[in-house]
Amino acid sequence: MKILVAIDVHETRTKPAARAAIRFAQDVVQKTSGSFSIALVGNRINEAVAAVNGFGAEAIYLLDDPQLAGHLAQPTTTALVHLQRQHNFNLLVAPDSTTARDYLPRLAGVLSAGMCRGVCEAVTRPEGLCYKRNVFSGMVTRWERITSPLQIVSVEATAVGEPRKGTDAEAIPLKLNLPSDARTTFIETRRAHSQRPDLAVAECVVGAGRGIKSAEAMSKVEELTDKLGAALGATRAVVDAGWMPNEYQIGQTGKSIAPKLYLAIGISGAVQHVAGIRAARTIVAVNKDAEAPLLRVADIAVIGDLGKIVPRMLELL
Amino acid sequence: MKVLVTVKPVADHNTPASEWMALQKKERANVNFIPNEFDLIAVEQALRLRDSGADDICLVSVTTEEHLPHLRTALAMGADRGIVVDPGQRHLDWHQIAVALKFVVEKEKPDIVLMGKQATDDDACQVASMLAGMLDWPQATFVSRMDVAPAGDQVTVERETDDGIDVLRVTLPAVISCDLRLNEPRYPTLPNLMRSRKIPLEVYQYSQLPVPDEPNVEVDSYELPLGRNGVITYAADADELVAILKERKLID
Ligand SMILES: Cc1cc2nc3c(=O)[nH]c(=O)nc-3n(C[C@H](O)[C@H](O)[C@H](O)COP(=O)(O)OP(=O)(O)OC[C@H]3O[C@@H](n4cnc5c(N)ncnc54)[C@H](O)[C@@H]3O)c2cc1C
Ligand SMILES: Nc1ncnc2c1ncn2[C@@H]1O[C@H](COP(=O)(O)O)[C@@H](O)[C@H]1O
Repeated sequence: MKILVAIDVHETRTKPAARAAIRFAQDVVQKTSGSFSIALVGNRINEAVAAVNGFGAEAIYLLDDPQLAGHLAQPTTTALVHLQRQHNFNLLVAPDSTTARDYLPRLAGVLSAGMCRGVCEAVTRPEGLCYKRNVFSGMVTRWERITSPLQIVSVEATAVGEPRKGTDAEAIPLKLNLPSDARTTFIETRRAHSQRPDLAVAECVVGAGRGIKSAEAMSKVEELTDKLGAALGATRAVVDAGWMPNEYQIGQTGKSIAPKLYLAIGISGAVQHVAGIRAARTIVAVNKDAEAPLLRVADIAVIGDLGKIVPRMLELL
Repeated sequence: MKVLVTVKPVADHNTPASEWMALQKKERANVNFIPNEFDLIAVEQALRLRDSGADDICLVSVTTEEHLPHLRTALAMGADRGIVVDPGQRHLDWHQIAVALKFVVEKEKPDIVLMGKQATDDDACQVASMLAGMLDWPQATFVSRMDVAPAGDQVTVERETDDGIDVLRVTLPAVISCDLRLNEPRYPTLPNLMRSRKIPLEVYQYSQLPVPDEPNVEVDSYELPLGRNGVITYAADADELVAILKERKLID
């Protein structure tokens, strides 16, 4: 298999999930023989080369263009189509993220390729590679196979390990001169800068649920988060209520996490939420309801009022 | 302004995993269907465009005849008409669905296609962008706010990303995929429910359209995921919890 790993670079940095995409490509190379290359996509991306080098890629292509700064689906697709026409890869891999969910299916549409999103694992079977995905709120596992000449997959980072060390590769800049497409204008990105670790890679995550009913209780939960050096996440109910921004949402329609410790505070454990926390090593439920569905997946539980439990934890830590 | 809204009937999320798997394998299954929640948000958004000049709101679904009632529920929110592409006995993949939708778009020539961000049954999250790519139209996915320019030729959107919000302006015609916080879908009124039964549905057979015969993605097999260990340790209070966490070296 000739594989390309496409990695989006934001402000000179790659996201942690990029490492999982590289590991996934390494695993497929091991199973099928062949090789993989990397494409870095963005604007002013030279500094990001170091982050993806030393893993045994054949080459690192730099798709560097002012049009790619905002990671809009149209120019990103055009750039990757250009690279694909030159090299005819059999498999295109990208880390699953809102960026990939936006442009990767567009690329698949333009190239008439089959795509699987959020793949956890690949195995070789007589009929070819099979990709494992979680479907139906993570309640069912499905193995899928792509039959088109070009296969496209995005990788679920929480299911894949760290890349293995390998040789360095040469960075090859490509002259793209992408035309500007006046039909889509990037205006701005609004983000709340947080000192806390990134949800996607945090070793410890505190999850806030609707059981936290007051601003005071919420500030205690935030205090606990910071004391633990944890990332903060939330259920959809909390985000819908406007207590926290959308990027904090964990679950089927939000982010997946894989911390060593997940402290779920005032969270009932709806399947859509649990879909995002299955990869957590230890799940702790703090809930007043001994029947809450979360207790079916939790490892440790305290049944009681979070209004008393959280402040007491703060005293003890 | 012509608006096309895509609607996929999906199994209700209370369906047990075993029933859902049986359904996928085309075995007898006891499943309650609902319109995909994100698609109802797309329908609601279309209805709110009436004030911006939307005078033809058409729903389209690639689905078999037995699911027409679910399309009617969505129609009863206030849409004008509906189109169905019936795949018959085939199991279509996302690429085939996108090609079927492209056929309808090229026939209907809408100014805007409103879709859901993802279908909550197989969580593909790809048909919207795929369709936009096939049409070579601008796209905006995961949209949580949408404003139509007074001239009606552009929309400014906010999209939800892993990092926050991106703001874009796209020129119509475009494909927009709707996220949960875009709006609260209305419930159909009784008169609208009655009226929707009389709305004629235009039906195409997938097999008679210029569309691919073979899928790009095939299902190999289904499994139930390994459960978590299911052994739970109860801590009596915060003190015991902290002690357990320290003992297991989960916190310092
Ligand atoms: C299509 C779709 C997609 C969805 N996607 C997601 C998703 O990605 N992520 C997500 O999280 N949800 C998602 N949901 C929503 C999901 O179904 C639940 O509604 C949501 O997760 C519930 O959030 P919650 O646990 O905070 O609130 P609730 O279900 O209201 O639970 C609150 C919990 O707090 C406990 N509690 C209350 N007071 C106290 C107290 N004083 N002390 C201790 N405990 C207390 C209660 O016992 C209860 O268990 C989705 C739903 C749909 C239909
Ligand atoms: N069979 C279908 N018929 C109509 N619309 C569909 C169909 N499948 C997917 N869609 C639309 O595409 C969106 C994204 O679906 P998916 O890419 O399958 O997660 C859905 O919310 C629908 O709006």
